[in-house]
Amino acid sequence: MCFNSLFFLFFFSMNNFFFMVYFIMNGLSVFFEWEIVSFNSMSIVMSILLDWMSLLFMMFVSLISSVVIFYSKSYMNSELNLNRFIILVLMFVFSMVLLIISPNLISILLGWDGLGLISYCLVIYYQNLKSYNAGMLTALSNRIGDVMILMVICWVMNYGSWNYIFYMDFMKNDYVMFVVSFMIIIAAMTKSAQIPFSSWLPAAMAAPTPVSALVHSSTLVTAGVYLLIRFNYLLIDMFFFKILLFLSILTMFMSGISANYEFDLKKIIALSTLSQLGLMMSILSLGFPDIAFFHLLTHSMFKALLFMCAGVIIHMMNDIQDIRYMGGLSLYIPLTSLCLNISNLSLCGIPFLSGFYSKDLILEMVSFNSFNLMVFILFYLSTGLTVFYTFRLIMYVMINDFNLMMIYNLYDEDYIMLNSMFVLLFMSLLSGSFLSWFIFSYPYMIYLPFNLKLMVIYVSILGSILGFMVSNMKIYSLNKLLMSYNLSNFLCLMWFMPNLSTYGLSYIYLNFSQILFKNIDMGWSEIYSGKGIFNILKNYSVFYNVYQMNNFKIYLFSFILWFMILFIFFII
Amino acid sequence: MNNNSNKMFFLFILFFSTLISISSNSWFGCWIGLEINLLSFIPLISNSKNLLSVETSLKYFLTQSLASINFLFMILIKFSLLKNFDMNNIISIMMNSSLLMKMGSAPFHFWFPNIVEGLSWMNNFMLMTWQKISPMILLSYYFNKNFLIFMIIMNLIIGSLGGLNQTSLRKLLAFSSINNLGWMIFSIMISENLWLFYFLIYSMMIFMMISLFFLMNMYFMNQLFINNMNFFIKLNLLINFLSLGGLPPFMGFMPKWIIINFLLINKFYFLTFIFMMTSLIIIYYYIRIIYSSFMFNYFKMKWMNLLMKNNMSLINLSSFISISSMILSTFIFM
Repeated sequence: MCFNSLFFLFFFSMNNFFFMVYFIMNGLSVFFEWEIVSFNSMSIVMSILLDWMSLLFMMFVSLISSVVIFYSKSYMNSELNLNRFIILVLMFVFSMVLLIISPNLISILLGWDGLGLISYCLVIYYQNLKSYNAGMLTALSNRIGDVMILMVICWVMNYGSWNYIFYMDFMKNDYVMFVVSFMIIIAAMTKSAQIPFSSWLPAAMAAPTPVSALVHSSTLVTAGVYLLIRFNYLLIDMFFFKILLFLSILTMFMSGISANYEFDLKKIIALSTLSQLGLMMSILSLGFPDIAFFHLLTHSMFKALLFMCAGVIIHMMNDIQDIRYMGGLSLYIPLTSLCLNISNLSLCGIPFLSGFYSKDLILEMVSFNSFNLMVFILFYLSTGLTVFYTFRLIMYVMINDFNLMMIYNLYDEDYIMLNSMFVLLFMSLLSGSFLSWFIFSYPYMIYLPFNLKLMVIYVSILGSILGFMVSNMKIYSLNKLLMSYNLSNFLCLMWFMPNLSTYGLSYIYLNFSQILFKNIDMGWSEIYSGKGIFNILKNYSVFYNVYQMNNFKIYLFSFILWFMILFIFFII
Repeated sequence: MNNNSNKMFFLFILFFSTLISISSNSWFGCWIGLEINLLSFIPLISNSKNLLSVETSLKYFLTQSLASINFLFMILIKFSLLKNFDMNNIISIMMNSSLLMKMGSAPFHFWFPNIVEGLSWMNNFMLMTWQKISPMILLSYYFNKNFLIFMIIMNLIIGSLGGLNQTSLRKLLAFSSINNLGWMIFSIMISENLWLFYFLIYSMMIFMMISLFFLMNMYFMNQLFINNMNFFIKLNLLINFLSLGGLPPFMGFMPKWIIINFLLINKFYFLTFIFMMTSLIIIYYYIRIIYSSFMFNYFKMKWMNLLMKNNMSLINLSSFISISSMILSTFIFM
């Protein structure tokens, strides 16, 4: 099963590559339409839009998924129901492809809902309590986005068709599009875990690592960004984009800080995904959709690679995910640590790796155009924080001393996992430049003063020094976390959002319903409608029986009495 | 002695008397029919070997003759006071009262459960179905709407509340008969066709139920729980009782539905409410009778076997009719 899907998806991705090159070179865009049913004035039509953006995204998605499925052949080899896992991943890829190629809202809804549902199934794959909780949090947060898209479908029915791409340029000042844009932004925010809804992404790390590599690095979380890129012409000057800018910048900043307090390997990587998502959303809301798309693609490459390396490390550490147990791995597993290093440095934006092209372009566009001070400061600060937690991670995992048990086996020769990582390594090195030559037919003109240009390097160096200093924990180090307890709690627990999303939302209702149940269901309503009415009826019946069990003469006499009364009062 | 040829003879006169009563064109003819009805029913129910049935037939005779006398006098008064038009209300009330007593409807129903307690099942069947025909039709010839609606409400309430505290199956069916009388009186105020429909379905349901009890020789509620009935008998019992109560997929829902339709169209909202609520109480005590029989775990006696009097091929047919007649009845209009 794994081999088949590997080859199929890989060739699919190569196919997409060649078509994409052809389409970009000739400026083509193909719109297929298949009329399923047509009856009087109603017609059900399935449409597919293939332009360079969807082909490029499909290429990346299928490449990553093929590599991940092959990787999971070795990672999940002790799993009894591996076929079930592979089928779930394939259905996930199918939903994502459906989302990518659809120009109308109904097939977007099918892909979107499929993504949410299958990611729930995948998150609860290891069926323990933590996975169940995480799955519930994931599914319900994504459900809000589904509801928003359903409402968008209702509103767009006003225009007669659900093909939104035809209406975007013409209906910008319409009230319907105002409402639609609001809902689309909220849907994208739930899917890509921006500030009100960001508690599910670290929690979804309870999923198996291949799932995290595919789903939570490149496909599920980028669906929201992709939707906003598609709707970009509609949303570009609207007020909601400013709100999205604010929230996504805060997401970027918050997750950068929280990643510095985390000691769970996958959670650090999840929070770095969240930070990069905030970056993508913020540059999108500033009005540069193609740069956002560029960063989406390069980020998916190196983040998937990062997750796969993390999977290898977790396997070797006997399924321990805590980085305090790891250390010195660069000496023992050179190939894996090569991949880890390259993806980490690409994440930081070290020159001429793939992350550099997109991240540096973003930062330079932010400096070049005139935005306000908060945007500027938070962008650069978050870049510095990225380097901070990245270097902290590298120090803990690869450079400091080994902290696990005495007897260990660091096994690097698992060539199935390594080969899949090498494919992504190749792409992660080259995709930056390759994409910049394809997507941008002419380069952006950026003219910056010298120090502003070097701000990135200053911030990166600062972050790396801080990362080095923070990871030098000795047995006699002062626990600064305890010294600033309240502030540390706030920053470390993701600004309390997981608590608010789970406990905060459900506690009030559960408490209230307990009060209602005890007082009404098992209390007063028993007297007023349960046993109480039965008692009343029973008493009436007993009362009636007293009059029923009588002397027979009384019955006859009562009849005569009735007639006498009638006679007396009405005739005489 | 009461052998079969006697029964045949008196049954024939019973049927004939009802026909006399309803097809005469003068009130005298009606009264004659009622008297012959009474006279021919008494030998059917009296059995000189059994003291209880003698007493029952005596009670029946007393009440019915009282009602007939009253009816006759009211007819005579009506003929003499016809010129005075605002007597019409009173006369109609008094005629209706005597007919109501003949039927066993509230507020003159007190004899009914007593007498039903003393008769055997087949005689009960006659009493509950055939004996109601001629008073009802006579009621439809000259009725006072306000008085009758008041009587209907009393019927419903007494029929439902009186039956809650009973354990004898005959008395339960008597109270349910009083309740159904309420529905039937209302339907005869609407149209005679509707009454005929209701009456036919009601008598069919009562027949199925009474024949079931007759075959199993059951007179009291506790006898239901200690017999080992097989599954089909229990199913039939369940379906029949629910059908009598008026639950939708069964046959008994249809006439009640039509009556409620009429009620709502003509805005009799309060009356609708009373019809509904009393129906609920009635269904409660039907279900109380049969609930143990359709649970998975029920009491079984190992030392006693149920002996059926005759074969029960009729029973399966009757439950089939109860279930499917709602659907089959829509084929009437095809």
